[in-house]
Amino acid sequence: MDRFEFPHLEFVARFARNRGALLGAGLILLVALMAVLAPLLYPTDPLRIVGAPELWPGEDPDFPLGTDSLGRDILAMIVHGARATLLIGLCASAVATLIGVSVGAVAGYFGGWVDEILMRAAELFQTIPNLIFVLTIVVILGSTLSNIVIAIGIVSWTSIARLTRAEFLTLRDREFVQACRAMGMGNGRIIVGEILPNALPPVIVLSSLVVAGAILFESAVSFLGLGDPNLASWGRLVGDGRLLIRSSWYICAIPGVAIMVTVLCLNLIGDGLNDALNPKLRDR
Amino acid sequence: MILDVRDLSTTLFTRRGEMKAVDGLSLSVDAGETVALVGESGCGKSLSALSIMRLLPDPPARIVAGEVRLNGRNVVGVPEETMLDIRGKEIGMIFQDPMSSLNPVATIEKQITEVLTTHGELRAKAARARTRELLELVGMPDATRRLEAYPHQLSGGMCQRVMIAMAIACSPSVLIADEPTTALDVTVQAQVLALLKRLQADRGMAMIFITHDLGVVAETADRVVVMYAGRKVEEAPVDDLFEAPLHPYTAGLIAATPIPGAERAARLADIPGMVPPLSDLPRGCAFAPRCPKVMERCRRERPQLTEPAAGRSVACFAAEKG
Repeated sequence: MDRFEFPHLEFVARFARNRGALLGAGLILLVALMAVLAPLLYPTDPLRIVGAPELWPGEDPDFPLGTDSLGRDILAMIVHGARATLLIGLCASAVATLIGVSVGAVAGYFGGWVDEILMRAAELFQTIPNLIFVLTIVVILGSTLSNIVIAIGIVSWTSIARLTRAEFLTLRDREFVQACRAMGMGNGRIIVGEILPNALPPVIVLSSLVVAGAILFESAVSFLGLGDPNLASWGRLVGDGRLLIRSSWYICAIPGVAIMVTVLCLNLIGDGLNDALNPKLRDR
Repeated sequence: MILDVRDLSTTLFTRRGEMKAVDGLSLSVDAGETVALVGESGCGKSLSALSIMRLLPDPPARIVAGEVRLNGRNVVGVPEETMLDIRGKEIGMIFQDPMSSLNPVATIEKQITEVLTTHGELRAKAARARTRELLELVGMPDATRRLEAYPHQLSGGMCQRVMIAMAIACSPSVLIADEPTTALDVTVQAQVLALLKRLQADRGMAMIFITHDLGVVAETADRVVVMYAGRKVEEAPVDDLFEAPLHPYTAGLIAATPIPGAERAARLADIPGMVPPLSDLPRGCAFAPRCPKVMERCRRERPQLTEPAAGRSVACFAAEKG
C-alpha cells in the first residue's frame, strides 16, 4: 500500500516531473497574483490618462512599459488586464465545461435517440465558424463581461461534450456500473456519483486548454472593438494600438506577448495535467 | 417461496432476428435454500439472472413472457422506479469479477455507504458506522484501515468481500451470485464460499448460485438447475444429481469434472462440440448434435420437461425411455 498512501502527493509528483508544466504553472501563478493584486498596485482606473502619449518603455521611470497613444500607463493596463483576461478565460471555460459535461454525460449514458439529438445539435454548433458565432452573439446580447463569457462558453462546449460522451460510452457498460444498478441506484445517482468521477481526468485536461482558447477568443473580440468598453483586457490593448503599429509597435507588442505567454503556459499546464491524470502514461 | 420464477422467457431482438436467450425457465428458491444454476458459457445463466433483476439491456433484450414472483409480488412489468427500490433491498447480486465490479475512483467506505443511503435507511453518519460493521461481518482483515482504501489496493478476495458487504447491506431476502468465485484463487474461493454460506445461514437468505464449476455446486447447493441453450434441461436435489444424472448433458458435465487423486492416465472426458448459437438452434433437442444417446426422435421434436421422481425433472426422450 505504501506507494499509494498519499494519492494527492503522487499527483503533484507526476505533474512536477513535466518541467514545462511546472514552468507554465509558475508563470500562471505570477499572472494570477498580478491579477489579484491589481487594485493594490494601481488603485486608480487604469484607463485614466496619466502622462504624455506614446512614451517608449524605459523612457520615463514612472511608466516602465511606456504609455499608449492617449497617454495611459501600459503597465497599469497590463496588470488590470490580467484580471479581465483570466476572469473571462476561467469563467468561459467553466460555462463550456458545464454545458459540455451535462450534454455529453446524458448523451453517452442514455444513448439511442437522446444521443442522436444531442450530438446532431452539437454538430450544428460545430459547423458555424467559431469567431463569427462569438461576434454574432456578442453583437446581439451586447458587449458586457458576462455576455462575452456566455458567448465563448456557447461556442466552446462541443469538444468537451464529445469527449465526455466518449468516456461515458465506454464507462456505462463497465461492470461496476451494472453492480450499482443491481444495488438499486437510479440513473442520476449513477451518472453523477459513479461514472462522472471516472470520466473527469481527460475532461479536466481539455478544460484547461479551453481556458487558453477562451482567452484567445476574448482577445479577438476585444481587438475588433467589440469587447466590454469598461474593461482593460489585453486584446483591447492590442486593438487600441494597432493604428500606431508602424511607429509605436510596443503598444501592440507588450499585451500581445502577455497573451502569448499566458496561452502558452495554459497549454503547458494542460500537458502536465495530462501526464498526471492519464493512467496510461503513468509508468512512462 | 421467496423467489418463484415461472416460464420466464427473454428474447434478444437483433438485426439477425429474434433469439430466445431464456426459454420458459421455471425455478423457485425458498428461504435459506441455495439453488445452483449450472451450464456452459453462453447457455443463458447470466441472462436469466439479469432477467430476474430486470437489469437486461433493452434493447436488444426483453422479457417476453413469464413471471418473477419475489416475496409474492410479480416484478415483471412493475415500473422502473419500483425496481430501484426492490434492487439491493429485496434482491441483491454479486458479480463474477470483483476487481472490475467496484468503482475504481471511490473508497471502499464511500461505496458501501452509498448503498446504505441509496435506500434511505440510514443517514450519512450512521451509515459510516454500519459500513465498518459490515466489513467486519464479511471478514475483512483490518476493517477500519480498509475503509479508506481504493479497490486497486485490495486483493481479488478482499474486493469480493466488499462486493458481498454491499450486496447484503440492506438485508435482501434473495441473493444472486453470478460466478462469484470464478475469478479467485482456489484457496480464496473456499473462504468466499464459506462466507456466503455463513451469511446465508445467519440471515436465512435465499440464494441463486450461478456457476459452471460442479465442485462448487456440490459444496454449496441444495438443488441444481441445469441449463442448456436457454432452457432448463434438468432439475434435481444436489445429491441425486451427482449420483444419478438423468440428462446426458448433465452426465457429460459431471464426467468432465476432474477428480483430485484419480488416475491421471485416462484422458479427461469432454462433451464434443459446442453450445449451438442461439440464432441457429436445431429443430429438435438443442443438445442432440452432441448427445451420445441421440435417437431419431430427438432431431425431430423438442423434449418437454417431465417429472420422473418427486423433486426431479428432466427434458430428454432417452431419460424418459429409461
